[in-house]
Amino acid sequence: MTCTLGEVKNRADFIVYWGGNPAECHPRHFTKYTLMQKSKFLPRGRKDRTMILVDIRETKSGGAADIFLQIRPGKDFEVLTILRAILKGQHVNSSIVAETGLTLEQMTDFIDRAKKARFGCMFFGMGLSMTRGKHMNSAALLTLAAELNAFTKFVAMPMRGHGNVTGADVIMRWQTGFPFGITFNRGYPRYNPGEFSTVDVLVRGDTDAALILGADPGATMPQPAIDHLARIPTIVLDPKVTHTSRLARVHITTSVAGISAPGTAYRMDEIPLPLKPALKSPYPTDEEVVRRINEAVARKPHWMPADGPMTIMQH
Amino acid sequence: MSPITLTLKERPKVPLEAETVTPDAFVTMSNEQIRSSLVYHGKRHCRLDDFFEVTGEFSDLIEMHGDLHRVKLLGKSMSRGQLKVYGSVGMHLGADMRGGRIEVTGDAGDWIGAEMSNGFIHVHGNAGGQIGAAYRGSLRGMKNGTIIVGGTAGLEVGMRMRRGTIVVGGKVRDFCGLQMKGGTIVLMSGAELRTGAWMVRGTILSLQPLPLMPTFASSGHYNPSFIDLYAQELLPHGISLPNHASAGSWSRHCGDSSIPGKGEILIWNPA
Amino acid sequence: MIRITGGKIFDPANGINGQVRDLCIDGGKFVSSVIGGRTIDAAGMIIFPGGVDVHTHVAGGSINFARAMTPEDHRRTTAFIRTQSRRSGLGGMAPTTFATGYLYAGMGWTTVNEAAVPVLSARHTHEEMRDIPILDKTSCVLMANNEIFLDLLEAGEFERAKDVIAWHVWAAKAYGVKAVNPGGVAAWKWGKDAKQLTDPIEGYNSITPGTIIGRLAQIIDELGLPHPMHLHCNNLGAPGNVWTTLETMKLLEGRRAHIAHLQYHAYGGDDWDTMRSASAEVAEYFNTHTNMTTDAGAVLFGDTVTITADGPWQHLLYKLTGRKWGNLDVENETGCGIVPYTYRPSNLVNSIQWAVGLELLLLINDPWRIFLSTDHPNGACFWRYPEIIQLLMSYDFRKDCMTKLSPIARERITLPDIDREYTLYEIATITSAGPARALGLTQKGSLGIGADADVVIYEEEKDIAKMFSHPRYVLKGGEVVIEDGDIRATPEGREFIVKPSFDPEIESFLKPKFEDVYTMSFENYPVEMERLEHADIRECINGQAPSPPRTAEKEPDRADEGVEF
Ligand SMILES: [Zn+2]
Repeated sequence: MTCTLGEVKNRADFIVYWGGNPAECHPRHFTKYTLMQKSKFLPRGRKDRTMILVDIRETKSGGAADIFLQIRPGKDFEVLTILRAILKGQHVNSSIVAETGLTLEQMTDFIDRAKKARFGCMFFGMGLSMTRGKHMNSAALLTLAAELNAFTKFVAMPMRGHGNVTGADVIMRWQTGFPFGITFNRGYPRYNPGEFSTVDVLVRGDTDAALILGADPGATMPQPAIDHLARIPTIVLDPKVTHTSRLARVHITTSVAGISAPGTAYRMDEIPLPLKPALKSPYPTDEEVVRRINEAVARKPHWMPADGPMTIMQH
Repeated sequence: MSPITLTLKERPKVPLEAETVTPDAFVTMSNEQIRSSLVYHGKRHCRLDDFFEVTGEFSDLIEMHGDLHRVKLLGKSMSRGQLKVYGSVGMHLGADMRGGRIEVTGDAGDWIGAEMSNGFIHVHGNAGGQIGAAYRGSLRGMKNGTIIVGGTAGLEVGMRMRRGTIVVGGKVRDFCGLQMKGGTIVLMSGAELRTGAWMVRGTILSLQPLPLMPTFASSGHYNPSFIDLYAQELLPHGISLPNHASAGSWSRHCGDSSIPGKGEILIWNPA
Repeated sequence: MIRITGGKIFDPANGINGQVRDLCIDGGKFVSSVIGGRTIDAAGMIIFPGGVDVHTHVAGGSINFARAMTPEDHRRTTAFIRTQSRRSGLGGMAPTTFATGYLYAGMGWTTVNEAAVPVLSARHTHEEMRDIPILDKTSCVLMANNEIFLDLLEAGEFERAKDVIAWHVWAAKAYGVKAVNPGGVAAWKWGKDAKQLTDPIEGYNSITPGTIIGRLAQIIDELGLPHPMHLHCNNLGAPGNVWTTLETMKLLEGRRAHIAHLQYHAYGGDDWDTMRSASAEVAEYFNTHTNMTTDAGAVLFGDTVTITADGPWQHLLYKLTGRKWGNLDVENETGCGIVPYTYRPSNLVNSIQWAVGLELLLLINDPWRIFLSTDHPNGACFWRYPEIIQLLMSYDFRKDCMTKLSPIARERITLPDIDREYTLYEIATITSAGPARALGLTQKGSLGIGADADVVIYEEEKDIAKMFSHPRYVLKGGEVVIEDGDIRATPEGREFIVKPSFDPEIESFLKPKFEDVYTMSFENYPVEMERLEHADIRECINGQAPSPPRTAEKEPDRADEGVEF
């Protein structure tokens, strides 16, 4: 249940931002895609749209919202689950509802407006997906959006961070079938977030080397993960020296994608955009470095036994 | 049959995947075949005896000794015999198990008994999350069998389970019984948040007070006779469930109304 | 250089039916003779031109969305293990790109047409197609619900609409044009549908699905595209939709058209309870109207994931099954929906669908105009084609399979009364020569001199499904890619594209429209030629529609005494 940003721009008359602060994190979001644009279907632009902001505190984005719903920290999953129950006309325990920071009236009003919308869209940010409940919070929001389609057109979309996270996700999916949390130790992709996702592998100390591309885990991951990166041979490819570079054995400076390296970036709605380099860089691209590493590895004896099967039937 | 013993001699540096260690496989194998059976140390293909001293052969009783917290997939898909571990084990213990018994004296990792269809698993120490759960994307968690954990357990215990019983002695983290479709979870020491979230059917019993989701409705107190049946079943494992009216009663909560589901959470109130 | 000796050749494009001939290959093409090089002894073996899939979904945003939604399937399927020369991958309902190439080539298919490319994400589709090894590809861009195009039709600006279509085909680096549920997908963006050809379309005053279909077919003919309009009719999957389908066919008289996955459009009855097969009505009309080709869109029992640009149908499926559902709408153009699905013989609707696909293949008497497809992955996964071939070639096998159906289902279908059995010559026609012809790919689907040396060599075997699943050799462009079940080489494939002519002034008309409705800058929109690996541009002659589909001559007598299948 997702769509491209153009659909939002052209059609969405009901927009929800949940656990994100677009005014500061995605500054052009309001003006370019969601709120300010006029279209054939929404000729009065902002006046034809309703925007609801859901967050644990008032942010700069609040000024742009028609309605601000302030929920208690860590209660996203409860609120979303209550909304699903209200949508189905089901009973909820009003004495527990108060713990969410919202009233039943506010939540009923949310559902009424959502049902009346012609085209609704929910954006969700790290404030939803990285707090207690994590992937289940996102699942709750996506399920609510799917269920709203019984009444009107409704979609949902994650507001992802920068650095072409979406591009990595899209390509991993077509090459391996999975977006992240993949191991190749058997010679084919296997998936289990929590077991094979980078942060979990590092925290448990399950790896004996690391290659870091387009990320700075040394600045963002929990301490045990950072400690492990310092313990093992870590290689960083980055245009600049990062926190991770400082604890790595090797740092390779690469050119900046989009400024001096060509390629494709995938927007948060998975629309591919061409990167057309404007400048020449003395540094190699990430792609070139990885290709040369690959070539060097290929000259070594292959780690899989040569007489193994070509395919296996998993079970 | 005398048991086959595996004693860890070399601690794996990265996870060791050892789904070959099952009674089903070893009962047909000579000592040499067991020694040479394939395990994966990270991406390297190794022999079991690179890591373990192996004694015995042709037996469906297996005993393992050592700190095996990096050893994954022990007893995967086993259907008979017994696997006893003196120590701790890693993830996916008894995943897809179809029968037989597993006992672990120490702790266990995530995903024990995931998608199992029968059998018995007893972990005396603490266990990780996703006990008896469905793997990501799958709609069916454990279909039958019993899992008992003496200590604490992690997230999403019994996620999408269909039938069978899970008992946890210590406290359980969030999302216990998430989307469960049947079966029973017994919580001797309660749980953190979101117990029974999105449950469709099935029963969660808690001997301690629980924070409830707002989508559960209270429906009175009682002492149902089916508790006596559970109690009888669990008694041999050293677990006693109260149900006598003089000792207290169970308060019943139905949900999750967001589905809307017909699951129930019963919380014991001592008199 | 390769010489293949002693094989029995089935080459319908050249009227060869089982004669023993040698094939010579040099420079990736068939030549009249070679000196030296490798000789493949194919004595007693059966030789087909490489398979061509006229309608499949193997690359792009929607199949990639389906991959993300089905991790449980990836875990239970065939895994391709990485070697020093080959990438790893997973098969199953929505195979990964590398595995897609291995699986198609592994059963002898060497060319595929990706049937649904949204213009806006065409760059993504091409990037994925580059990661599908071995196969040559074409793609069809989705145009029938493009709002700029619809606005022009509404305003009666036909010539400009034609330029807009031509410009988009080139911008997307596509090969053909696909129309999905014309008018209906545009309406779905408001949660509505347009089911009949005369239904008004939400948001428009004068145009109907009928207007869009007629105009688009005319435009594609006038632009001279080698492949006619690739049409997914309105009202897909609904009981009683045979009337919509027949109306659509009547509307297309005098025009070329390829009707996609006909199975989903040949149902009678009034609702799910009274649904019945209407394949006889459809086949009767189709048999007498030679302006059209079609593909079966056959269904096989088992698990799959349904993915189509037809959002309304997908939402209906979701409501019927309650399974997880994904929907992806692309701005201004099209949408797509994704639902994992299991076809069961115990289910009346599924039984009828299973029968209708086979009935159409058997009742449409011209193998040059109906082709093997499952609308992968919608009706079944492409790697199950050998099972369909077995069903077509063996009446006894069909009878066995029909015992699984309920008596009610058997009353609602005509399959039990059809005893036709396909010949090898006809199988080679519906899997290769016919679809290549319909796509206008003159160098495909043929073992004649000058054609691309895509060949599949089978060891003759009584078990038909086994024979067609495990060719002894597959050659792509003259290179042995499969031998004895092993992947020997994974060359990169080519992409065929077309460049229809358009008035360059159309760009100054389009640019402000873009700024109005799209969120991508006009300059970033067209896919650059450098994105394509080994692009091969086909000529189109404006104003000159290629000739209508070839129709069957009498099948030549088979030259050999083959195995009795
Ligand atoms: Zn299709």
